[in-house]
Amino acid sequence: MDPASNLPMLLMGAWLVPLVSFVLILFFGKHMGSHGKYAGHLATLAIVTSAVLSFTAMFGVWLPSHPLPGAAHHGEEHDGEHAEEGGNLHVSLGTSTAGLETQFTVHPVAFLADDSHAQDDSHEAPNDHAAGEAHGHDAHANNGAPISHSGEWYTICKFGSLKLTIGYYIDSLTVTMFCMVSLIASCVHFYAIGYMHDELHDFTDPEVTMRDGKKLKRPGRFYRFFQYLSLFCFSMFGIVIAGNLAMVFIFWELVGICSYFLIGFYIERKSASTAANKAFIVNRVGDFGMLIGMMALWSSLGTFNFGDTTDAEGKIVERGMFSQLHTEENGYRLQPTESMIAEEKRMCPAHSDSIIESSAESASSDVHAPPKNTAGQWLLFIGGVGVFCGCVGKSAQFPLHVWLPDAMEGPTPVSALVHSATMVAAGVYLVGRFFPVFTPEALLVIAYIGCITLLIAATIAITATDIKRVLAYSTVSQLGYMMLSLGLGGWVAGMFHLITHAFFKGLLFMCSGSVIHGVHTNDMTEMGGLRKKMPITAYTMLAGCLAIIGAGIPLSTIGFSGYYSKDAIIEQAFSFGSQNPGHVILQWAPVVGAFITAFYMFRLWYMTFAGEPRNQHRYDHAHESPKVMTVPLVVLAVFAIGIGWTLPGTNLKVTNLLEQSRPIGTLATSQGTLLPDLVIPDEHLSHEWEIKKPAGIAAFSTAAMGLLLATIIYLWKKLNPDELKQSFKPVHGFLWNKWWFDEIYGALIIAPTMLLARLVSRFDLGIIDAILHGSAAVCKGLSKVVYAVFDRTVVDGMVDGIAGVTWDLGLGLRKIQTGSLRQYIMFIVIGTVVLFIAISVVQNTGLVGSLGTDLTN
Amino acid sequence: MQEIYWPSVFFLLFSGISCAFAVGVLLSQNIVRMAFYLVLSLAATSGLFFLAGADFVGAMQLMIYVGGTLVLLIFGVMLTSQERFIEMHTWAGDWVKAFLAGGALLFILVSAAFSVPAWQSMDRAEAEAVVASKTVTPLGMGLLGVRVDKPEEPDAARRDGMAGYLFQFEIVSVHLLVVLIGAAYLARAKRKRDLPAVQSDGSQ
Amino acid sequence: MQNLILANLLTEPIGVAHYVVVSAFMFTCGVLCMATKRNVLGVLMGVELVLNAASINLIAFGSPFLRNDANSLGLDGQLMTLFVIVLAAAEAAVALAIALNFYNNHDSIDVDRADELLG
Repeated sequence: MDPASNLPMLLMGAWLVPLVSFVLILFFGKHMGSHGKYAGHLATLAIVTSAVLSFTAMFGVWLPSHPLPGAAHHGEEHDGEHAEEGGNLHVSLGTSTAGLETQFTVHPVAFLADDSHAQDDSHEAPNDHAAGEAHGHDAHANNGAPISHSGEWYTICKFGSLKLTIGYYIDSLTVTMFCMVSLIASCVHFYAIGYMHDELHDFTDPEVTMRDGKKLKRPGRFYRFFQYLSLFCFSMFGIVIAGNLAMVFIFWELVGICSYFLIGFYIERKSASTAANKAFIVNRVGDFGMLIGMMALWSSLGTFNFGDTTDAEGKIVERGMFSQLHTEENGYRLQPTESMIAEEKRMCPAHSDSIIESSAESASSDVHAPPKNTAGQWLLFIGGVGVFCGCVGKSAQFPLHVWLPDAMEGPTPVSALVHSATMVAAGVYLVGRFFPVFTPEALLVIAYIGCITLLIAATIAITATDIKRVLAYSTVSQLGYMMLSLGLGGWVAGMFHLITHAFFKGLLFMCSGSVIHGVHTNDMTEMGGLRKKMPITAYTMLAGCLAIIGAGIPLSTIGFSGYYSKDAIIEQAFSFGSQNPGHVILQWAPVVGAFITAFYMFRLWYMTFAGEPRNQHRYDHAHESPKVMTVPLVVLAVFAIGIGWTLPGTNLKVTNLLEQSRPIGTLATSQGTLLPDLVIPDEHLSHEWEIKKPAGIAAFSTAAMGLLLATIIYLWKKLNPDELKQSFKPVHGFLWNKWWFDEIYGALIIAPTMLLARLVSRFDLGIIDAILHGSAAVCKGLSKVVYAVFDRTVVDGMVDGIAGVTWDLGLGLRKIQTGSLRQYIMFIVIGTVVLFIAISVVQNTGLVGSLGTDLTN
Repeated sequence: MQEIYWPSVFFLLFSGISCAFAVGVLLSQNIVRMAFYLVLSLAATSGLFFLAGADFVGAMQLMIYVGGTLVLLIFGVMLTSQERFIEMHTWAGDWVKAFLAGGALLFILVSAAFSVPAWQSMDRAEAEAVVASKTVTPLGMGLLGVRVDKPEEPDAARRDGMAGYLFQFEIVSVHLLVVLIGAAYLARAKRKRDLPAVQSDGSQ
Repeated sequence: MQNLILANLLTEPIGVAHYVVVSAFMFTCGVLCMATKRNVLGVLMGVELVLNAASINLIAFGSPFLRNDANSLGLDGQLMTLFVIVLAAAEAAVALAIALNFYNNHDSIDVDRADELLG
């Protein structure tokens, strides 16, 4: 099987099938069974087809033709062994503790020096051990481009050098994302068929009261829901498969509009339409930054493509973004291109010599010389942060996180999809995909944003009582984890967490949906003891909770999926913290986050499923959900537990898959240019025992403490939560009101905007309208004067005069025209007489002499 | 005193009769009398024609005008001669206006007639020298396209104008036919439509 | 010579001018007839007089007894007169038909009643 031709075909199929479903439902949805019942089946069939195609691509094409590293790359091992793979440069780390210790003693800057091939000699001494190993390559050599297949399907348009295409860029991350998205989306589709059955007949919305006091009654919109779901999946696949940034942006916006449709599905509810608007507008704010980033990158790199464009013989025709920034000559390190510093050169020619010099020498021994090509660095920084802005909006990071909790207004399957596989995943995915473009400074920004988001959202989740809202803030918090991890250089950890989180968050949301479906309320204070009524939901959700808090045996390889990914993140944070003492907060934030996560997740589970029922009425009416909903729960629970595991008998596991598509030039430790002290550590350093041990213990102990605290308060009831609430009233209020974010935005942004709008409107009404009305009045007056003076007298007089003269003339002539025969004869006679007189006069005066002569003849 | 020149005497006689009866036509209010005066006037005119040497035309004047056209007119008079139409008075104002205009016209025409020297009388000897000739044959040949009266005209331009009247004769023939058919149609169609009215008139 | 016209009329030959005077007189009579008669047939008689006057003129201009110079109409005058007579007959027939028609329509032959052409 030729992956270069089969993979795009398979994935294109998986990508387009939901589109077909969308189009079919769009045009024929109403007629598919009563209230479009079969539209749901069609959409489900489409997404299952996508899933089948995706898994075929994964197991039938990708894995056979791109074998995973031979040796397991287990986190607990002291060393990371990297077998040579595909087009990757051989990468390895020092395999002895001693060697690593030596490395840590080296000043971080030395890593940069080590990267250069020219400096092989200088680093021989500290790396004696490493050099002697079996994988005796340069220990710090950077990695080249990962195996990828890129190409173009269709060229939309071409403006000069700007070429917009529908293309693809497929590496193992793409395939993995395809599998993950299609699998979760399939589960959501199945689940939604059960969950949305209310829409199969006329639906009475209990939350919308009409003006006459009745509840709104409207036709069901079952088919429309699945129509949007299909479009949503299509858009998400489009982002994942996109081969260039422009295409990403197109599908990015498509995802945005789909989320708008789905969040506002109950459009008659004021809160739903407001939430949909909020999601859309907040995302636009982020997209604005993304546009700036795109412009910055395109104007300097001249391409939107990720991968290189090759011709039929495999020769590189046009270099993609990544390989332009990570050239082979530079040892795949991130380096601003010539075009990026060209402007600075042109602006200050005096300065340019030193720039060229420094750019030529920056890789050489003069490592302590202050870097001078800052313009290019700034441009890259702006481009990176700009693109990240889009991700901030889409992935609900601080300060644009406010839309995600409100997005709970959509039906729960939408929440599950938005929160796990599609919308928010898109942001993280783009950061991961775009990783090679982020400078260390941009990564630091990402890390801090992720850190702040993580803590804020986690604290808000503590006090929330709406079951979906807790999960929503949990999502925001987990997304913060991912961003933090990516920002700290933990690419695999971040992407791994994206995938594991997708499964267990999808599971958790669907469980909460099942609960809501059973008890008809979102409020946890009215639940309790439900595990007896709905056991499948309860225990699948317990699995999800354990997965999200990262339950597992510390320092082992046994645990739920979250255990692997979250520990990897915390390890990366420790690794980063050990090299950047100034940013110690980034080291401890995920640990604190783990504590809070464990607390609020089990608070949720205990309040919902354990203890005694708080509302007997609701409890009595509670029931387990139908099979079409619980089976997806079980499927997802299995994945939530086991997605981090290695497939027995093989070396197939998600981290190995992700490692295969590690972005170009990210393996080596890198150092900031604008912030020289900033060091983004090599991710594999985090697997060192010295890092792993404290990190693992910290993660486990904090999570356990959180779990314990939740148990004490909500299960054993040793502490009364109400009393706690009383004693921490200000804090509780602060958290209850979500850190007053909505209010702050309301006061800082919305109110001034409204004020400005009001002022402008007053300006409009008062001044512009006055000018308009004034000029109109002047014109009117003037025209009245002209009308009276000129029109009435001159023009009308002229016209009337002509008419009158003609009229009078006609009247006069009319009198001649008597119709009397005798009178006519008189006229003839008189005419003859006159004629004769005239002739004789002429003749006598000799005017016409000839006439007279004729007559005389 | 010179010997009386009889043609002039007859001219005075005929012209006097025709003019007098023309005035009679003009002044008479009775339509029947007018018709009678007209007959006499036209008959006298034919005498003028004979005096001028146009014997055939004079005969035609008598036959067609007096014998044909006027009979037609008199038929018309009889067909419409109800009591109230026999005498129809003209307004006095009309008379005055008509005589003013007619007088002016007459004055102009008469003065014009005497103002042309070529139209004056010939000498008596010259007039007596003129030989009268029959005009029937030349007229008949002229209508058939042959001008026998002036075949030896030396001027070529004038000879061109001496073509016969065959073509005009044909046109007039067709014209006459059309007129007769049209007159018959006009008179007949209307009468049919208004037949009851005519009958009621007749019953009165 | 002009003064002697009437004095010599019995002894001297007459000329074209005499005929033209007679013609003018008849013409004027015919025109006045047309202008004053209220009876349609009276008008028609006026027309006949006018046509007759024209005939006299034509005959006079072509007569060898009245005028014997190169400008004489000769036989042409008589031929024209024949056409005039024929056309007068035709005109009389049509006019009579019109008059009868008018009489049938208006129950009158008063031309003053025929004012449909009044503007």
